[in-house]
Amino acid sequence: MFSNILKKDLSRRTFLKSTAATALSAGLPSIALAAGEPIKIGFLAPLTGATAAWGAPGLSGCEIWAEKVNAAGGIKIGDNSHMIEFVSYDNEYDPAKARTGATKLIREDGVKFVMMLGGDTWPGVQPVADRTGMLFSTLLPSDLSPETTTLLAPTEVHPIYLVTGVQWLAENKPELKTAVMCAQDDALGLPSVATYLAAFEAAGIEMQDEPLLFDPATTDFAPIVTRLLSTSPDIVCLDTCYSDYVHPICEQLFQQGYKGQIISATADFYDQLIAKTSKEFMEGFIFQFPDFDDPALNGDNINFDDANGFYEEYNKRFPGQWGAVSWEYAAIMQLWKAGAEKAGSVEPDAVLAAMKDDGKGKHAFGDADWWGTEMFGIDNALVGDWPVVVIENGKAVIKGFKSIPAWYEQHGDLLIKHMSAYDQMWNQRG
Amino acid sequence: MFELLAQTSLNAIYAASYISLVAVGLVLIFGVMGVINFAHGELFMAGSYVVVALYADRMVPFFVAVAAGLIFVGLLGLLMERALFRPLRDNPLGGLVASIGFLMVLQALAVLGFGVRMEHIPPVTQDVIRFADKISIPVARVYVIVTAFVMLSALWYFLKRTRFGWALRASAQDPEAAALQGISVTQTAMIAMFIGAGFAGMAGALTAPLISINPHMGHSVIITAFIVIIVGGVGSLEGAVLASVVYAFVHTFVTTFFDGVLADITGLALMLIVLIVKPTGLFGSADRA
Repeated sequence: MFSNILKKDLSRRTFLKSTAATALSAGLPSIALAAGEPIKIGFLAPLTGATAAWGAPGLSGCEIWAEKVNAAGGIKIGDNSHMIEFVSYDNEYDPAKARTGATKLIREDGVKFVMMLGGDTWPGVQPVADRTGMLFSTLLPSDLSPETTTLLAPTEVHPIYLVTGVQWLAENKPELKTAVMCAQDDALGLPSVATYLAAFEAAGIEMQDEPLLFDPATTDFAPIVTRLLSTSPDIVCLDTCYSDYVHPICEQLFQQGYKGQIISATADFYDQLIAKTSKEFMEGFIFQFPDFDDPALNGDNINFDDANGFYEEYNKRFPGQWGAVSWEYAAIMQLWKAGAEKAGSVEPDAVLAAMKDDGKGKHAFGDADWWGTEMFGIDNALVGDWPVVVIENGKAVIKGFKSIPAWYEQHGDLLIKHMSAYDQMWNQRG
Repeated sequence: MFELLAQTSLNAIYAASYISLVAVGLVLIFGVMGVINFAHGELFMAGSYVVVALYADRMVPFFVAVAAGLIFVGLLGLLMERALFRPLRDNPLGGLVASIGFLMVLQALAVLGFGVRMEHIPPVTQDVIRFADKISIPVARVYVIVTAFVMLSALWYFLKRTRFGWALRASAQDPEAAALQGISVTQTAMIAMFIGAGFAGMAGALTAPLISINPHMGHSVIITAFIVIIVGGVGSLEGAVLASVVYAFVHTFVTTFFDGVLADITGLALMLIVLIVKPTGLFGSADRA
């Protein structure tokens, strides 16, 4: 019967060609976009577990962004406008689940772009990216390497932006000369440790002890804080600790009588931190993620559309939920939308080329350059200015924007030295 | 150096206190019912969420919330005994698998009820007892230490000095002989489950203002509890308390003087050494092992 069908309707050559084409198309993401068809974007981040604070609030921000874009007519690709739709998958910060999620989003949901937190989950996804050519984004440029040609770090240049906080600290509080640091021992913690070490060295701040690494499963931080305070440092650096760690560590610092300077990548839900400690204790706390109601985000240098309005809407819908990543995935979408509209296509190669056209991009905090060949082996990180935020009178305030490339120009060798010492250069990572 | 040693010792005493409460509960359940309760970490988590629901959200006094945590999680233990372990009484592996399933149910319920975010609990007190410039202990931690001491003493009295306690110990030593003496195996199992689960719930409730609360927090607790009961001797309450103290001191001192990752490795190494040198644990009997 099978041979009869072959004889009647198609030749063996045609059959083989069409079968091969079908097999090939089954293995690749669907690129074609029908008129009016919504554009699906994958959101592949931890929505539960210890790192959920760096996934779930970003999805909320994306939903607000999508409603605004859709209300304004959607994304214009060629002559057609398309609504935007997010499809989320909770990878629980687990590489295997991230891989499953990436495959599902691409094969079953037909997404055109996938946003990730990255970090420990990227190695699970990379084979899928290599196989499908799908365009991915990460918040962690430390995921980048010469092999990650379809991975972009277009918003957060973690951990390189951390140098700006230390730079500001050294300029504004020159009397602080000694520091200690703790960090969780994982893909987020270690590159941050190396970056802070470089930044402290560049600023002439002496480390009084080796960075104290702890297991991510740690719940009792009293011994860690006891050790940190044993050398009476001027500065305690909390590295890129998750908010689940920043809070108990700060409580312990408060309870063990620390009165010095604290610097950290994030201070998510800092109002709760103030409630657990005191306004006086948290005064002067330096971190890197502003509240978007800050007047400094209304400046002409800022490329994030209506930052204050976004913050107001976010807090109206998700009161008390604003965190470091609430705006970041939306900012990535803003860049992707501009790239897709410029390319007139949602095809990954075309969008990627359009986004990186002329080597410059409109980062949320100002115009920036596609950068990273020396650090990451590929210039897929969009790097420019980054804000330094200080808690003053119970409220986060942007104290200024500092240029990451300018710091790197002067002290890049220190960063490479410390990254190499922690095996965090792109050619050292496994 | 003296100050550092003294402060580290205070930190270790606190850690030993709440670990003891969790581990003793786990041992009691295993001793009487012969079931390894993998959901014990989630019972700890449930106790923390009772404090979130009552103390943080509804302004119920903290110690009332802690008592509610003990009772609520104790009742969860009774539910587990009735619905999971009793039907699988002759099937320890089935009980273990059922407890893993219950673990997932509790995690999912916590996610549904409270979301995935870390919960904010206002401090019970910000008072700190200072012995010297660098030697101090927050009063909230003293509450944990004192409560653990009182509850463990009460349990010791209950087991050694009351008829129910004797029945419990008899059932743990030889269930068949105990049944022949007229002791109800079902009743002793229910008591063991209530106390064991309740202790885990109380530990979670007491420490709730001091740790990060999320639906997955039970994971690290159960690992620590397993290390402790293996070191102490599976089925031995005295062993669980002693091993909690040993583990807490070793882990705390290694964290303070080296680092937290090495402390975890040291804890596991301690367990391996005990397994090699004395496979029954410090206080375990060959029967239980």
